[in-house]
Amino acid sequence: MKKSETRTRYLVNFIAVVLLFVLSVVMSNAGGDTLKLKVVPSIWQCCYLIIMAASLNLVLGFLGQLSLGHCGFMAVGAYTAALLSLAFQRAGFYDEKSGPAFLLVLLLSTLAAGVLAALMGLLVGIPALRLKGDYLAIITLGFGMIIVNVINNLPFCGQQGLGQGSASSALYATGLGFSNDEKVQYLWVAVLVVLLCMTAMLLFVRSKYGRAIRAIRDNEIAASTSGINVSYYKVLTFTISAFFAGVTGALYSCCNAALATTSFAFTNGSILNSVFIVVMVVVGGMGSMTGSVIAAVTLFLLNYTIKNGAWVSTLPAFLQNVFTYPMLVYSIVLIIVILFRPRGIMGSREFALCDVPKWPGMIKAWFSSRSGEKEVVGHE
Amino acid sequence: MKKKLLSLLLAMCFAFSLAACGSSDSTSGTSDSDTSTATAAETSAAAEEDSASGAVDGTITLGMIGPMTGSLAVYGTHVANGVNLAIEQINAAGGVTVGDETYELAVESKDDQGDSTECLNAMNALISDGIELVIGSATSGCTSSITSVANSEGVVLVTPSGTADALTTEMDYVFRTCFKDSFQGELAAQYAADEGYTKVGIVYCSADTYSAGLRDAFTAAAGELGLEIVAEESVATMTEVDYTNQFTKMVEAGAELVFVPFYYDVTGPYLVPQARSVGFDGILLGADGVDNTETTIPDGADLSVYNDFLFVNHYSTELATSDISISFVESYEESYGETPNNFDALGYDAVLVLKQAIESCGAFDADSVQAALADTSVVYEVSTGTFSFDDTGTPIKTGVLMGYSYTEGDDAVTKIAVTTLSLD
Repeated sequence: MKKSETRTRYLVNFIAVVLLFVLSVVMSNAGGDTLKLKVVPSIWQCCYLIIMAASLNLVLGFLGQLSLGHCGFMAVGAYTAALLSLAFQRAGFYDEKSGPAFLLVLLLSTLAAGVLAALMGLLVGIPALRLKGDYLAIITLGFGMIIVNVINNLPFCGQQGLGQGSASSALYATGLGFSNDEKVQYLWVAVLVVLLCMTAMLLFVRSKYGRAIRAIRDNEIAASTSGINVSYYKVLTFTISAFFAGVTGALYSCCNAALATTSFAFTNGSILNSVFIVVMVVVGGMGSMTGSVIAAVTLFLLNYTIKNGAWVSTLPAFLQNVFTYPMLVYSIVLIIVILFRPRGIMGSREFALCDVPKWPGMIKAWFSSRSGEKEVVGHE
Repeated sequence: MKKKLLSLLLAMCFAFSLAACGSSDSTSGTSDSDTSTATAAETSAAAEEDSASGAVDGTITLGMIGPMTGSLAVYGTHVANGVNLAIEQINAAGGVTVGDETYELAVESKDDQGDSTECLNAMNALISDGIELVIGSATSGCTSSITSVANSEGVVLVTPSGTADALTTEMDYVFRTCFKDSFQGELAAQYAADEGYTKVGIVYCSADTYSAGLRDAFTAAAGELGLEIVAEESVATMTEVDYTNQFTKMVEAGAELVFVPFYYDVTGPYLVPQARSVGFDGILLGADGVDNTETTIPDGADLSVYNDFLFVNHYSTELATSDISISFVESYEESYGETPNNFDALGYDAVLVLKQAIESCGAFDADSVQAALADTSVVYEVSTGTFSFDDTGTPIKTGVLMGYSYTEGDDAVTKIAVTTLSLD
């Protein structure tokens, strides 16, 4: 790629990102009931799902290791941020959820959430990453469950402290938890966190570290003979991934204002659980950051509109019957994606604004290449 | 490409047909629920037509949130049955009188799948649809995620079955139609004292809100009533399958009665048989979570172990004496072909309480209804008893003591209602 083209791409992306950010700020000043009750909470939820899927993609898509306990790290982050903010409030550091003192606490709790989750990732990663494939999956699965049980039984944070019914009220009144109005007011926080985290992760996979872990994914033995310290890079990636999951946890506790460990379980009724995050990564494309973003937003919108969208009632009755069982719809979507795009929506390519003009040609090429097995190589 | 399209089409047809089967199967258990919601929908549609012709002046839409699918679907569907029945009856009897005008009731129902994020989304969606009176959700966990939204957005929330103490304490707009956990714990302790037991034990789960909350209330009340707690043991989770160690300690300590705040999924297959197997032959006393244990007793189990297994409950169809509860049981059996449980009755009551509040204040906006409900002197006569709210929005009501009994030769245990409990 020519240097000037790279510069154009950076410029275009930078402008787009700034526009996105400005849009979110403008939106949060616009007001309105639909915005407050539907749009903004949806954006918040999209935000934490995006970082969640992208951070798992580091481990699953780029490093090639299956982790089934990703929500465990999120739980660590969520409880850390929530408890820390409550502690600050009780110490009299801030009274109202505005002003520089609160923003500082917000920043501190978010960072602390990430750091503690990263420590947990290191702790789990060192022994666990000696294992491969299924065995690693089982260890991480176990970790996710252990974390939930530990949190449940800790006197100061489990059911006893935060969950005993007063969780929401305590967080709302004093801690990080945002009411609908505050979610609108602090929409920029969520968007900013997503932008920063995504940039950091993209830079990471583009760096020499990213190349190293992709080499490990493609062939571990070849990578280690080329002088790559396999264990070091594995643990590093796992830790970084856990850090972002922890940050996600902080966003989650801001957004939901009530914490219950069932939300971070291996599976549960909603779309936030360790299994569904794996599904998001697979649907988006293992090894594509932007694919994770697209998949997270798509699956969120699917889940949200099935339950709350007005268009559902205009559908024929038998379709509505299907929609009363949302899990069925997700599985149908998964089957369709896997049938037509076995490597996920984006494969291992990244979405780039500058590539949009090339799309018609690419789509044509995809249809003419029979059965879609020959992936059209993008700009990489 | 064609082959692929064809296979996809077939796969989709298969999935959709499965889904169609699934939906009809799951409702066939409560065979009439489909038709009743259908009729409710028809009546509300009819109401809208009527309102054009002037018979009624409009429709008041209540919101309802509950776990309609997922592992707790039984709770949500039963609350929905109760709510639909109440609305049907009220509309058939002429609707709600607000001032000089008459309104029909309708319900907009949302599924939270037992998850707090979904519950919050559902609540926000209802509010943005302009609904100001919401019934939900069925579990304490989900309800705790929406109480603060109800309060900050000024929407009345009546939870039919969220028993956690703290749900209503700080929230002016949150009410409930069930009693709270600490109250059941007190009732249980008082029963133990009344029956003359002095040495009691507790087996509970410290990690669970429900279990730990009940244990705290029971311990506090036991201390006041002079009961001696001779042993107390905790298990790690609410789905524990081994209780033998705990009950061996109960036997060693000489407990005459053991308080067991667990759910029905473990009491039937594990807790009760294991307690008896290590030689505990005293009373086992549970709380409302024990109801429905008869559905989880394994085939071929020794049914005599379930004797002396008692629990505190909201409501019993057998002890129902007031006209309204008898008529509720009759009409429920007529509509749905089965005996109503707690959730049916509490959902039914939530609608009746809201109706009475709307009629007494002569308006149906959230603020007026909230003010009417917050009046602690008003007496509500509903299917689970007669009560008034305390200053937090929790009913001051009675409980019932129920239990299981097995007679030699029967092929199943029977659920018996022992007595009505109230605090002195």
